Amino acid sequence: MATVQISLPLPVLPEGWSGEKDFKPVGQLSQATDRNIEPVGPHFLAHARRQRHKRTFSEDDR
Amino acid sequence: MSAENSPAERVAIGISFGNSYSSIAFTTGDGKAEVIANEDGDRQIPSILSYVEGEELHGGQAKSQLVRNAQNTVAYYRDFLGQEFKSIDPSPCHQSAHPVQHESTIAFKIRDTTEEKENAVTVSIITTRHLRRLRNSASDYLGKSVNAAVITVPTNFADAQKDALNKAAKEAGIEVLQFINEPVAAVLAYDAQPEAKLADKIVVVADLGGTRSDVAVVASRGGIYTILATIHDYEVSGFQLDQVLIDYFAKEFIKKHKSGGDPRENDRSLAKLKLECEAVKKALSIGSTANFSVESLANGIDFTSPINRTRFELLGNKIFAAFARLVAHAVEKANLDPLDISEIILAGGNSHTPKTAAAIKSVFPTTTTVLAPSTSPAAINPSELSVRGAAIQASLIQEFDVEDIEQSTHPMVTVTPHLSRAVGVLCISPDAATGKFHAIVDAETPLPVRRTAIIATPREGGDVLVKIAEAARHIKVTKPQPKSKPAKDDDDSEDDSDDESEEEEDEELREQTWQVGAVLSEAALRGLKKGAKVEVQINIAADLSVNAIYREVGGKGGVRGILQGGGAKAQNGSA
Ligand SMILES: Nc1ncnc2c1ncn2[C@@H]1O[C@H](COP(=O)(O)OP(=O)(O)OP(=O)(O)O)[C@@H](O)[C@H]1O
Ligand SMILES: [Mg+2]
Repeated sequence: MATVQISLPLPVLPEGWSGEKDFKPVGQLSQATDRNIEPVGPHFLAHARRQRHKRTFSEDDR
Repeated sequence: MSAENSPAERVAIGISFGNSYSSIAFTTGDGKAEVIANEDGDRQIPSILSYVEGEELHGGQAKSQLVRNAQNTVAYYRDFLGQEFKSIDPSPCHQSAHPVQHESTIAFKIRDTTEEKENAVTVSIITTRHLRRLRNSASDYLGKSVNAAVITVPTNFADAQKDALNKAAKEAGIEVLQFINEPVAAVLAYDAQPEAKLADKIVVVADLGGTRSDVAVVASRGGIYTILATIHDYEVSGFQLDQVLIDYFAKEFIKKHKSGGDPRENDRSLAKLKLECEAVKKALSIGSTANFSVESLANGIDFTSPINRTRFELLGNKIFAAFARLVAHAVEKANLDPLDISEIILAGGNSHTPKTAAAIKSVFPTTTTVLAPSTSPAAINPSELSVRGAAIQASLIQEFDVEDIEQSTHPMVTVTPHLSRAVGVLCISPDAATGKFHAIVDAETPLPVRRTAIIATPREGGDVLVKIAEAARHIKVTKPQPKSKPAKDDDDSEDDSDDESEEEEDEELREQTWQVGAVLSEAALRGLKKGAKVEVQINIAADLSVNAIYREVGGKGGVRGILQGGGAKAQNGSA
C-alpha cells in the first residue's frame, strides 16, 4: 500500500502533557464487523498465506 | 470422470459464461490477460447451440439459426443450471427452444441427432457441450490442451448452481480451479493493469448484460476486496433496449408498408427484427448513425431504415434512467452516499452504449470516475472485464494444490473482521472540534492491516502530539443561504431575485466530512527539526489491538505504543 501523505501539520504538544515513554492509551476501537473478503487477487493470496502460516506483515516482508 | 490434474500438468484459462455471451482468456508469460477469439473470430461468443441435421453449431453460427431453426436452438440457459423448473423464469427463451421440466431438472426438447425424433437434453448437458466448444477453441489457439479454468459467476449464484456448473465443466474436461464473482473479476482486471496504483477506494461495478443487470458495491482496501451490497435486476437489461428498437422499426415498417403486416406477429420476422436490432444497438455505440436493413422482413418485403443515436437515446430514455437508478440503489443499500464512490466500473455489453454511461454518471458527483468506453480513455472493454479477471486469477492459482485453493477460500480464512470506523490522526489541533481529522485506515478495511502515514509538522518543528482517533464519515449538507429577500423595498428587482433563489434552491452543497469519535491514544514526539515530517505506522490486529510506531522521518529513536484489543479497556498510562 502506498503511504498516506498528510500535509496538514500535527498539533503542538500541549503544555504539561505527559505519558509513560511518551505514549498514552486512551480508548478502544469500536466493535469490528465480520465480513467475507473475496478470495481473489494477489493481495488476498498474500493475506491467506500470512493467515495460514500465522505470520505478521513484517515477518512476511522478510 | 478424470481426476484432478496435478498442478504441473494444468493448462488453465479464464472463462466468463453469461446467459447471452461467453468469453475465454489466458494470461501471457508477462502477466497480461488476453482474450481469445474463436474460429469465427469472435471474442464475445454467443452462449448458444443449434442443431441442424445432427450437426452442432455453436456461438454466432448457432445464433443466426434463431431465424430458421429456433426450436432446435438453445439459448439463455445459464441461470437454469442447478435450479428446479418451478423456480426459473423461462421468458428469455421465448424465441428459441423452450425449457421443460425433466425429472428433477430442466431440459430442452430438441432434435440434436440425424434421427427424426426429439430428445430431452438437460441444461447440464447443454452446458457441457458449450464449455467443450469453448475449451476446444482455447486449446486450438494455445496449441495445447486446456484442462482447467477459473469461471466467473454472478454474486447470487447459489451453491447448487455452482455444483451443477462444476459437474458440467468436469464432463467437458475442465477442472474448475475456482468460481469467482463477476464484479470482483472486473475489479481485478483493472487492478492488474501495470499502471494501476493500489488505493483504498469504494468501487461500484455495474454489470449490464443481456438478460439481467447486476450491481455490486465493493470496498477495495490495499487490493483486498469486500462486497458491501449487491442488487440484481432481471427487468432492466439489454433485451429491453433491443425491444425499444424492435418496436420502433416495426412501426416504421408498418407506416411504410401498409400491407406488410406487423413483423412482430410472425415468429421468423420477429427473430430477424431482434437480431438486426441488436446489431443496430451495437453500431450506435461507436457511430452516431446506423442502418437497419433486413431482407424479406415480412411478407417478402425488404426493409431498410436509418436511425441516429439521438433517436435511440430518446427511445431508450426510461431504460437508461432505470440503469442509473439501479446503481444509485446499490449505493444506498450499502449505506453509502454517492460522494463515497471513487469509481464506477461499467461492465457487461450494454456498458458500451454511451448513453448508459452518461445516465449513470449524471447521478454521481464529478469526483466519481466512470470507467466506460465513452467516458474514460482508461476504460477496458466492458465485455471482457469478467474473463480478464478470471484469466488473471487462473494464472495466480494454477500452480496451487487443490487443497491449498480450498483452504484459502474457506470461511476460516475469508470471514474477517472489518473496521467499522476510519482510524486516523488529528491535525492542526488536538481538540476534535477545531482539529482536522485525516484517515490513515479507512472503515471497511479487513484486519489485520498495516498502514503508514507521513504527516507534516508545525513550521518551527518542536514538540508535537500525535492523537489517534476513530471517525465516522459524515455527509455535510449546506443549504444555500436564503437570499435576503428585498421584501421591504419592493422595487422592480423582485422578479430577478426570485429566479435566482429558485435556481440556487437545488444547488445545496454536499461534502464529505468526518465525525470524530473515540480517541484511541496520544503520543508525543519531541524536539523535531524545522520542516520535519513524522511517520506513523499503524498495525491493527484481528483482535482490535493497535500497535503504532511514531518517528521523525530521518530522525533517531521514536515512540512505540500498544493498545490492547478486546473486552477490557486499556488502562491509562500503563503502555
Ligand atoms: N458494443 C455494444 N454496444 C451495445 N450493446 C452491446 C454491445 N455489445 C454487446 N451489447 C449488449 O450487451 C448484452 C450482453 O451483455 P454481456 O455480454 O455482458 O452478456 P451476458 O453476461 O451473457 O448477459 P446476461 O447473462 O445478462 O444475459 C446484450 O444485450 C448485447 O446486445
Ligand atoms: Mg453477465
